[in-house]
Amino acid sequence: MNINDCYNFEDFRKLARKKLPSPIFNYIDGGADDEITLRRNSEAFDSCDLVPNILNNVGEPDLSTTIFGKKIDMPIFLSPTAMQRLYHYDGDKASARAAEKFGTFYSMSSMANTTMEEISNVSSGPKLFQLYVHKDKSITDDLIERSKRSGFDAMCLTVDTLVAGNRERDHRTGFTTPPKLTLQSLISFAIHPQWVFNYLTHPKFELANVSKKTDKGTNIAKSVIDYVNEQYDPTMNWKDAEYIAKKWDGPFALKGVMSVEDAKRAIDIGCTAIMISNHGGRQLDGSRSPFDQVKAISDAVGEKLEIILDGGVRRGTHVLKALSAGAKACSFGRAFLFSLGAGGQHGVERLLENMHKEIRRNMILMGCKSVKDLDASKIIFRK
Amino acid sequence: MNLKDCHNFNDFRKLAKKKLPSPIFHYIDGAADDEITYNRNTSAFDDVDLVPNVLRGVENIDLSTTIFGKKLDLPFYLAPTALQRLFHYEGERAVGKAAQKYNTMFGVSALATVSVEEISSMIDTPKMFQFYFHKDRGLNDSCLERAKAAKFDVMALTVDTITGGNRERDLRTGFTSPPKLTLSSLFSFATKPMWGINYLTKGKFELPHLQDYVQEGTSTNTSIGNYFSTMLDQSMNWKDAEKLCSQWGGHFALKGVMSVDDAKRAVDIGCTGIMVSNHGGRQLDGSRSPFDQLAEIVDAVGDKLDVICEGGIHRGTHMLKALSLGAKACSGGRLYLYALAAAGQAGVERALEKYKTELERDMKLMGCTKISDLNRNNLRFRK
Repeated sequence: MNINDCYNFEDFRKLARKKLPSPIFNYIDGGADDEITLRRNSEAFDSCDLVPNILNNVGEPDLSTTIFGKKIDMPIFLSPTAMQRLYHYDGDKASARAAEKFGTFYSMSSMANTTMEEISNVSSGPKLFQLYVHKDKSITDDLIERSKRSGFDAMCLTVDTLVAGNRERDHRTGFTTPPKLTLQSLISFAIHPQWVFNYLTHPKFELANVSKKTDKGTNIAKSVIDYVNEQYDPTMNWKDAEYIAKKWDGPFALKGVMSVEDAKRAIDIGCTAIMISNHGGRQLDGSRSPFDQVKAISDAVGEKLEIILDGGVRRGTHVLKALSAGAKACSFGRAFLFSLGAGGQHGVERLLENMHKEIRRNMILMGCKSVKDLDASKIIFRK
Repeated sequence: MNLKDCHNFNDFRKLAKKKLPSPIFHYIDGAADDEITYNRNTSAFDDVDLVPNVLRGVENIDLSTTIFGKKLDLPFYLAPTALQRLFHYEGERAVGKAAQKYNTMFGVSALATVSVEEISSMIDTPKMFQFYFHKDRGLNDSCLERAKAAKFDVMALTVDTITGGNRERDLRTGFTSPPKLTLSSLFSFATKPMWGINYLTKGKFELPHLQDYVQEGTSTNTSIGNYFSTMLDQSMNWKDAEKLCSQWGGHFALKGVMSVDDAKRAVDIGCTGIMVSNHGGRQLDGSRSPFDQLAEIVDAVGDKLDVICEGGIHRGTHMLKALSLGAKACSGGRLYLYALAAAGQAGVERALEKYKTELERDMKLMGCTKISDLNRNNLRFRK
């Protein structure tokens, strides 16, 4: 199996599983507790059906949409995800270049292994910076300043990781960052020599954007869980979010909003967007899926905020359903991380190309000329 | 696999399976008929999703709750279960000490293998005595008087075991109390020699609350189903319950109430609590799960007595869902019995620690700092 055999999410996942040491594959693949929310995030799309309109003279459909003040060529973009160097030695650079090529957002995590300055040099496409509020306020302020200077177009503040989720696969595999050799993981690293060779021969692994301020996660092998619990500020509240929105003073989203009440409050503090997300089912198991919740939120605040659905998106039809239910765009993490693990920049490009083809084909089959045509009349929920 | 590899309910279950002779494991693990209710007790929680609120500032979490006039540090307690010395030679001593360490209620069964007097001298945290209504009134009076003299805080009358459930696994394995060697069970006892050695060398197996009155269960081998069917009084009615309640003169609960009518009637006879329970799916297969029935009962009587959700709970998020619906607390038997079988007191303590950590984490992720913050706004039922 190689990258050109990958046609869908499951294919990229399979190939990534072959290429990555098991603790790393399972870190991407896993969710919290019993992974019920993780599964529901995708299954939720099956609880509603698309209803096409025929004979609509569709021609070449227009997939473009505008979010965070930027026109993007397709209504899906790359979610911010941490530590991409673990999945491929090109890490964030590969993702950023691929996103630029397909005219959509690349997003950088606070826990990226590449600096925002480096990314600015390799990509002039639209860029989103994802912020975690650290206990050390100077880390937060520094990240905002640098995002501004490096020409990032938008910022999102993640609000669903006050404490790390219970990712039991990581307990079992002993996943840490940077990766640590243990007896149990030794075999898995040993049977993936290509990954180990690339990991060791390419630039050093570090949490590049915060490494000057803290050596946690860079020099000391820590589980992500410990990092989150030690570094992130659990007292974070609406005032802090408002302060960040003002300081950033540009297109700004909260990532991880799930209740209608919070979505309304996001408007009050100056957000231009929200990302409906449960962190890919990696935090609170048993929590509602973004697709199950998108309509209620869109009905309440859809005219005042851009709504981005993040979580469970595997297919072009999922994007169509999300847009019909009221989202302005979708984003995905796992899907592109598997493609990154499977084939670096080329892998991510192939994934985005597949998604573009699927969305285009499905819009034609739906009889839609532009994403604006996707509205509540295009979906019916099963009882 | 050993104790430190146990991160959740299923892990404890797996380890218990390794340690116990199969008739004993299946006595815990099994349920009535086709075990449909047993499975539904847990899967019912998946029909509702949690909807978190963000940016609430959640550094300190208070998990305490008050039931039966007693403040517990945790919103769940250890349900009374029979025959604990069969599962680990420390039996009730282990479970009681673990409950004391975490300051939660310890439920002691009428079919306990350690006496109320010994438990009372061992722990000073809240204790519940579970009562079976026997045909022998002398036995009933003795149980009640001894529990009162031993300063137990709560009496719970079990009302769903008027006859033994059809536990087919026990029919197949030949489970009895005390355990009996048969040709078919010989192999399974022989392959778990540690269990056999502990059982035979750590003190005689006794049912101290019953053995002065009945032979069955100690000197005479009996199955639990057979014990219920032959020893308990099938003519038990509301009058008997009311009489017991006034004879006890303290906090009194009915365990196994499932209908709204019965819940209202429990208020009338002077109960201060009810356990919504189907005996862990071990009695009437096809009966409704506690979580499915909880809202109706809370709406009817929630302001008049403490409603406890018992059955199917494997996770902190399950408890959050039950508490959000209006249960005052949760309880469970298998919740700690596998852990007891896996490693005695250390096992039960690890299980309690895991649930406590889960609850704290999940409360933070929900944006709640105390149990009273949980309400139905946190929940959305799927259609």
